[in-house]
Amino acid sequence: MTLMEKKKFDTKLSLLLYFTRGCKRWFALAVFFACAVSLLDLVNPKIVGFTVDTLISGKPAEISGLAAWFVEMAGGADTLSANLWMVALAVVCVALLSAVCRALFRIFNAIGAETLVKRMRDTLFDHIVRLPFAWHSVNHTGDIIQRCTSDVEQIKMFLSEQLTSLLRVFVLIALALTYMYGISPKMMAVSGGFIPVIIGYSFWFHKKIGSQFAIVDSEEGKLSSIAQENLTGVRVVRAFGREKYERERFEKQNKFYTNMWIRLMQLMSAFWSSGDLISYLQLLCILIYGSVLAVSGELSAGSFIEFVTYNAMLNWPVRMLGRVIANLSKAGISIERLRYIMNSEEEKDPANAKTPDFHQDITFDHITFSYTEEGKKILDDVSFTVKAGSTVGILGSTGSGKSTLMYLLDRLYPVEEGKGRILIGDTDIREISSDWLRKNIGIVLQEPYLFSRTLAENIAIASEDAGQDEIRRAADIAQLSEAIERFKEGYETSVGERGVTLSGGQKQRTAIAQMLIRKTPVMIFDDSLSAVDAETDAKIRAALKENTAEATVILIAHRITTLMHADQILVMDKGRITERGTHEELIAKGGTYAKIYELQMQQSDVGEEVKE
Amino acid sequence: MNEDTNVKLPFFGIPKILPYVKKYRKRIILMILMGITASLIDSLFPLFNRYAIDHYIGEQTLDTIGYFIVLYLGVLVFQVTINYISLYWAGMTEMNVDRDLRDASFNHLQTLSFAYFNQNNVGYIHARVMSDTGKIGELVAWRMMDIVWNGSYLLFVLINMLVINARLAVYILLLVPAASLLIIFFQRKLVSVNRKIREINSRITGNFNEGITGVRSIKTLVVENIIGSDFKKDTDEMKRTSVHAVRYSATFSAAVAMMGSVALALVLWKGGNLTKEGLMLIGTLSVFMSYAMNMMEPIQFIIETIAALIAIQVNIERFTRLMETESDVADSKEVIEKYGDTFEPKKENWEPLTGDVEFKDVSFMYPDGNEMVLEHFNLKVPAGTNVAIVGETGAGKSTLVNLVCRFFEPTEGQVLIDGRDARERSQLWLHSNIGYVLQTPHLFSGTVRDNLRYGKPDASDEEIMAALKLVSAESVLEKMDKGLDSEVGEGGDLLSTGEKQLLSFARAILADPRILVLDEATASIDTLTEKAIQDAIETVIKGRTSFVIAHRLSTIVDADVILVVQDGKIIERGRHRDLMRKKGYYYDLYTRQYEEMIVNQMTAA
Repeated sequence: MTLMEKKKFDTKLSLLLYFTRGCKRWFALAVFFACAVSLLDLVNPKIVGFTVDTLISGKPAEISGLAAWFVEMAGGADTLSANLWMVALAVVCVALLSAVCRALFRIFNAIGAETLVKRMRDTLFDHIVRLPFAWHSVNHTGDIIQRCTSDVEQIKMFLSEQLTSLLRVFVLIALALTYMYGISPKMMAVSGGFIPVIIGYSFWFHKKIGSQFAIVDSEEGKLSSIAQENLTGVRVVRAFGREKYERERFEKQNKFYTNMWIRLMQLMSAFWSSGDLISYLQLLCILIYGSVLAVSGELSAGSFIEFVTYNAMLNWPVRMLGRVIANLSKAGISIERLRYIMNSEEEKDPANAKTPDFHQDITFDHITFSYTEEGKKILDDVSFTVKAGSTVGILGSTGSGKSTLMYLLDRLYPVEEGKGRILIGDTDIREISSDWLRKNIGIVLQEPYLFSRTLAENIAIASEDAGQDEIRRAADIAQLSEAIERFKEGYETSVGERGVTLSGGQKQRTAIAQMLIRKTPVMIFDDSLSAVDAETDAKIRAALKENTAEATVILIAHRITTLMHADQILVMDKGRITERGTHEELIAKGGTYAKIYELQMQQSDVGEEVKE
Repeated sequence: MNEDTNVKLPFFGIPKILPYVKKYRKRIILMILMGITASLIDSLFPLFNRYAIDHYIGEQTLDTIGYFIVLYLGVLVFQVTINYISLYWAGMTEMNVDRDLRDASFNHLQTLSFAYFNQNNVGYIHARVMSDTGKIGELVAWRMMDIVWNGSYLLFVLINMLVINARLAVYILLLVPAASLLIIFFQRKLVSVNRKIREINSRITGNFNEGITGVRSIKTLVVENIIGSDFKKDTDEMKRTSVHAVRYSATFSAAVAMMGSVALALVLWKGGNLTKEGLMLIGTLSVFMSYAMNMMEPIQFIIETIAALIAIQVNIERFTRLMETESDVADSKEVIEKYGDTFEPKKENWEPLTGDVEFKDVSFMYPDGNEMVLEHFNLKVPAGTNVAIVGETGAGKSTLVNLVCRFFEPTEGQVLIDGRDARERSQLWLHSNIGYVLQTPHLFSGTVRDNLRYGKPDASDEEIMAALKLVSAESVLEKMDKGLDSEVGEGGDLLSTGEKQLLSFARAILADPRILVLDEATASIDTLTEKAIQDAIETVIKGRTSFVIAHRLSTIVDADVILVVQDGKIIERGRHRDLMRKKGYYYDLYTRQYEEMIVNQMTAA
């Protein structure tokens, strides 16, 4: 896998080079054609100058080399002069060639850019889903998505639009200046003297525009979130009768934001019009100086036209140079933001990771755990063993650490060294390959996540070779088939973000089917029958029992009827196991479990009891 | 969503936005005039070249050069100045129109009924306020100026050419329709490819979202590779489509550039012959050449602008649809006259509210529904009564609450507040007397103080602290370093759900409403906060008429009356003991839904 060879990126450049692997040749081709375009663009003014001076005004030709050869081939200057259409044809041919090169430049550039974007996105996606779960719980979704979308876009823009153009511009400037030098070194000096001025002014403005843009951006964010909060909180706004206040709040920010934009507009207008000012001034200098030179006989009309055309060509590219330089820092920031993601470490297996059989006892050995370093202990010295093939039930209040235990077992969070061990047989799970571990443990989460796919695809997502029959069987056991058949498109109904919204119970049952089809030796139900009624719960458990006879099962629930037939029941409170035993033992003991059982069995009086 | 394909409005929908532009019409007219002047000058600049070539170079003299420089500089300064002003004004107009449209749509939303908010999701409405308005402002300013600049430039160039040499001008004019057809052809193709790119792009963003929010499932199911390879299918398609699009647009711009060169070649050939014969000066030839090359770009701009106009119609349509939506819960004229409207209340005429609520023969159907969810429903709720509403998630428990708050109005029958039909007094009057605590507590970005004062803008710090104390929420403040001045973050993000809940109780208490609506949270909260919240609820509902969408044992058991909802309808009502004895739906629901609460309460005890 390509990802395995990847290490830390110490510099922005190293990450950039890693991303551009595989697209450099396309960019090289693009640059090649860009240079060809620059070269060809300079030919037509030459033809025009020659036409005006030699063919129309009849001055002796001042051409040599290739150009002279072409004129010779066409039958000499006189023939050409009599048949100007031949010149016109030459112009069209050159233009055609230039157009083809221009198109090729853009196409190769696009291929390069899209290859780059694809590589960046694919790499990021692969990397992100392999980052530890703990990383995901501290990084905000919105922020990561923004990095993967707009920062990627920013880098693409920089490389494909700005950097290749930059190279092209350099070539163009160099060539044009050379030609201009050939026409008149003095004129070239006048024209060229403006180049640093134009680059400088453009750079200066783009810096200012860039920082004003950042202000506008953040103000827009504020305005947008006022609107967002107002809309999501519409009930609160109405219920407190604060429409007027909301209006004032919005209008105030709206006005401020608008003014920031207007300031930006002012800058941009100043930039555009002063650009015009500078280039027209440059033109004036050339016109005057050219005239002076022409009067003293140093310059012909044709050369003059030629020179003015070259000069006009330089105008935009040079302004663009300033922009590219100003944008360098933006691209730098984007790369840095991606580097943060890419340098976060993926989940790693130890060398020679083990792949033990999972039909063995699972032992939690003195586990202590907290999510943050100085945070409170979620689990405090928890020890128990789940015999292979047995069923363990865990009962406990919200926040007592039941789910955390399961996350640790599946290595979503690591158990720190010295804070206990979890063993499969006698293998510490830290030594087991995480893929192998998770492939052998099936967990049905309390709030399962459905992917934007069809129901059938969701059920079979982790076992791709499962056939229709298996999918249906799993759905049957999970008591889901009836609900599925009620959908118009049955198993082909799309769910998830873009599809039908399922109820909590339906989601849970889908997740159960999803686990059953995997036939894992260890099955965990993390409060995953909470949203189904007692009757369905019983049916599912009965069906499960038939089908999972050999599996080791861990049941987390609030409903004692769900747990009571387990081989061992643990009662958890505040990260500790407070009671353990079989249902009968716990009832006989008369502790919390017995009390809860009593309450749940005699629901009719519950209200009064709890009140006391 | 494919709604952005074929919207057709008369005159591109421009008449619909005129009312918002009227304010700026003087400036817009000036902008147009300046734009035309600027184009005129632009088209005249090559004539300076021509003069220099024909006069100074052709006749080998520098006699008028002083005037030349002065005139050139004069024109240039004038040109730059009006360019600057018209650019700046265009930007300003765009932004002002944007701002007005945003204000208008936002304010209109404040008056719309909940039917609108139920039928449209927040993202959709948000886009109407934040992005459609921007597109329309752009239309008013830049699209219009694009047409002005390029249209008049093109026109002036053609006139100049015709004046200078009609015969040569005609040759070039022949190229214009050819170029236009070419551009239109490509433009069409590009629009559809670009739409596809946007679609794939949003799919990719969705994939990222799935990969990140669903990461726990991805990991536990070990499907990283499957999800990853599906992701690559989308990025593959993106790459193909994008390159495809560039192939079009590259061919397109190459073709346009070619047309310019063809024009140049034409001038060189025909004009060259004329010049040779002495019928035209070299300077004129050079002017023609620069005109010929510069004509293609404006043509392309105009066509692109027209394409943009067509596209913008969707935004105009969506915006005007929002503005034309009328609230189906509106105060009558008489009511507004006496009590004031949403933004300008006449509080001097407001009667105090006691808190008697009565449903009198109420039947109700949601505006987007097709079935009555209440039929001839009668219920008297004397002031101070606690009503608990129970039922499964999605059973329609909020219906009654929506009616009490007048978020919706009964289809038939009346809701009486203090014995009078709710419609006889203004919405703001009612809302000012209702406290509302949501299941997912909603805080606004700002400080703790801002949030607590939401229902009572003039509350003093002492009052605020007293309210916090009443619901035992001082501990929330202790954790924050700036006390009441601490920021809560966007939507209260910096606080935990439990803390947000406590603050929203304090907020409700501070407003001291006669009627309280409470949607209890089902979300899991740690046991300590749970206890605090339970106490807070008891404190808050004491002595007020309250409607509680209840999930807590104690709240329900204590209620004066319990309404049991199933499939949107109220199927049982009575006190806890009676309902349990009945062993009906409530009994079932109860035993199922409250097991977790029992476990929580017993193990925490």
